[in-house]
Amino acid sequence: MTGQEPALGRLDSGVVITLAGAAVGVTAMILTVRNGLTEWQYALTFGLLVAVGEMVQFRVDRSRNRAPIATSAALGYVLLRPPEVAVPPEIAQAVAVTGVATLVGVLPRVIAGLRWDLVVSSRRVVSVACAAAVFSAVTPPGLYWSGTWQDAVALTGAMLLAVLTAAVVDAFVGAGQTTERYNQPFPAALRDELVIAVRIGLAMGLSGVLLAASTSLIGLWAMPLVVVPLLLTQFAFRRFASAQRTYRTTVRSMARSTEIAGFSSPGQNARTAQLAVALGHDLGLTPSRMEALEYAALLSGVGQLALADPSPGGASLLRTREERRRAAEIGASVIERSGVLDHVAEIVRHSNDPYRQGRANNADIPLESGIVNVALAYEQLVGEGTGQSPAKAMESIGLGIGAEYDPVVVESLRRVIGRGFRF
Amino acid sequence: MNSRWPLRLTVAISTAVAALVLVVALLHTRLDVPIVALGLLLLIGVLLRSKVGPVRAALDHVVCIALLLLSGPAATVVVAVLLPLTQDRRLPVMRRVFNGAQAVLCAAAAGFVFVSTGGERGDAVLDAPGQATVSGFAAIVTWLAVNASLMCLVLWLDRGSTSPLTFLRKVAAPTVIPMTGYGLLGLLLAVVWIGGLGIGAVFLVVVPLVVARWALSLYEAERNAQAATMRAFIQVIETKDLYTRGHSERVSEGVGMLGRRLQLSEDRQLALEHAGLLHDVGKVGVPTSIIRKPGRLDDAEMDAIRLHPARGVELIGNIPFLEEVKSAVLHHHEKYDGTGYPAGLSGENIPYFARIIGIVDAFDCLTSTRSYRPARGVEETLDILLQDRYTHFDPNLVDAFVAVIRAEGWGAAAAEQLAPDSSIAASIDHDDLSLGSGGGATGSAAGPEL
Repeated sequence: MTGQEPALGRLDSGVVITLAGAAVGVTAMILTVRNGLTEWQYALTFGLLVAVGEMVQFRVDRSRNRAPIATSAALGYVLLRPPEVAVPPEIAQAVAVTGVATLVGVLPRVIAGLRWDLVVSSRRVVSVACAAAVFSAVTPPGLYWSGTWQDAVALTGAMLLAVLTAAVVDAFVGAGQTTERYNQPFPAALRDELVIAVRIGLAMGLSGVLLAASTSLIGLWAMPLVVVPLLLTQFAFRRFASAQRTYRTTVRSMARSTEIAGFSSPGQNARTAQLAVALGHDLGLTPSRMEALEYAALLSGVGQLALADPSPGGASLLRTREERRRAAEIGASVIERSGVLDHVAEIVRHSNDPYRQGRANNADIPLESGIVNVALAYEQLVGEGTGQSPAKAMESIGLGIGAEYDPVVVESLRRVIGRGFRF
Repeated sequence: MNSRWPLRLTVAISTAVAALVLVVALLHTRLDVPIVALGLLLLIGVLLRSKVGPVRAALDHVVCIALLLLSGPAATVVVAVLLPLTQDRRLPVMRRVFNGAQAVLCAAAAGFVFVSTGGERGDAVLDAPGQATVSGFAAIVTWLAVNASLMCLVLWLDRGSTSPLTFLRKVAAPTVIPMTGYGLLGLLLAVVWIGGLGIGAVFLVVVPLVVARWALSLYEAERNAQAATMRAFIQVIETKDLYTRGHSERVSEGVGMLGRRLQLSEDRQLALEHAGLLHDVGKVGVPTSIIRKPGRLDDAEMDAIRLHPARGVELIGNIPFLEEVKSAVLHHHEKYDGTGYPAGLSGENIPYFARIIGIVDAFDCLTSTRSYRPARGVEETLDILLQDRYTHFDPNLVDAFVAVIRAEGWGAAAAEQLAPDSSIAASIDHDDLSLGSGGGATGSAAGPEL
């Protein structure tokens, strides 16, 4: 996103995760081949479900693809018990089935040229292995679905523990990846991952538990009973994801209107937003605040449309401060009128306030306004390679620290630029 | 009043039958744990009264199907009586009584099908899971079929605003697959319950339902946000010109009316309304000085105006709308005789949506105030449109539009009109038909000279 290249010689976390997943998968494969496959019909059915789930993966948030059905199926396979499944799958077998099925599911996507992500798939293999280990550790061999409530409750507890382990492991790995990729502070990244784990992870985990419990009780007849509702829910999420994409592109198009009208140079809003997002990650904002920040950075210029003529070259630094603040005010009131972007409007409203007259004395003004202010200024100075050098721009922004710009944000900018951020 | 007696009779008969079924069921019901627990669950649901109707309905449905396997048809019928309690209390009593009867009849039919296809209950479910699955599925489908048939019957007798066909198309068809699918969770609930987990099974089953509901509400929120943002977007564009304020929303409303008359599918109806809303976004690329210029425009300025459809497509090109939205924005200034812009398309070569928007666009412009002339009356404007059939507009669509406006009226315009004001040096609207060379039609609609 920031266009940063990982430093040479440093091992990218994606590579590490993929290697770990591959190592776990291959080891499990070898063990399974040596010990022989038990209950092949369950291995085949669950493997098939994992593969299908992998094939129909989709993206809800911006960060990565998700394959909830594959995860539920893999977890479900791990948690199988008698009576229907006479010999529950060994840890190695469960991991091997997940791994092979994942590869089988990804293959069609690769061939069709769709988005695929081996890192996410590897994360699943690793967290499923953890779930399998925990489940077999806490479940006595004799415990099965005997029909008594004591056994049922004990099994459900063990399954929930296993699923929870998988969710926490995945959250840690995910947070590590986010920290590395977006330079977000690790605690903030972990917090975001855990929020996602509670929302989506819980559902995937419990679906896995439901799948395992019912399959252990009635065998493969449970398959359609769980899979059909899962597919319906996934369909609802996909619909949501596509509505979200439409919405995002609408906001982007709205932002581009200032470019088409000649108030800003091509790509100016996108660059400002890109920098604002990098700053927001660095400062550890929550995802919802990040979204508002990005929109505010994109839309910070729309108020100019109400001013009569574009300034040449779109450099709004050339305007007087009063004019800029008036434009920000108009922009904010227009954005506010939509009724759904109030927070964005608030950020835009104060995005041209100098720090000393704004945030320094008024705690109600959001930090995001300060971020957009700095991002706008830096973009104006550096622009699309035609402007000043980053060091020079950094220097002139440093002169305005505390008066014009928020010191916290300028520090963050220094870090972000120092890490090699370029438009 | 007289015409309502078949409806009342039907309601009375079904209520009586339902009452009879209920009494028989009560006699056959033994109070057991599932009845009490799930009945209480439904009642708690009544108290919580969630805002998202469909998922609540799904949960009720799930509970009833589970009861069928846990305690048998009689118990299901008894608990089904509770279902209408979960409905809005402001509904008329007759509606709620009928809904109660409807639930009882659905449960009875589903129970009958379940038993007659060999469905077992209790521990026997685990011994013959295939049988239970098949019979359970048949029961779910029966429930939905009986429900839909009763609804259709009542709607047909009611002769109200919703026809049975509309109900089937708008309500029954989109919900049949989710309701069947989530009904399967009822079977699952019963299986896990019987497997030993008891009431704890409800927790496992409710979570997928809640997540489904969450996805649904996210989708709705996103859709609303999208609509609101597009309106805000339009307002940004319209800040450029005082007199065209509200034009895009009115055009969107007008094409919406015409689209409903033309019975477009739901997707296309929405796309058409979007296209109506966005048709002039490209005006943002036309210099404000030209848009606000008083008096007539010279050729160069007119050329700048003529660019606005292409500008609009450039702007919205990335938004994943139906392709029709983009072609409509690009071609909404084409004329039926081929003298429009930008491509000079004629007749049926002009995209359908573009032809529709062209009509409503012109209509709204004429019925709105411009600085150089007052608004025209609706009837007068419709006559102008009718005169311009074939030259400017698609004749069939004009006829349809005129029919819609005459039938439903046009309330949008009069609301917030500025008075014509000679002190404001405002521009000539590029949509204005009443001006010879202002970008509008030639001929019959010659307006006041400036």
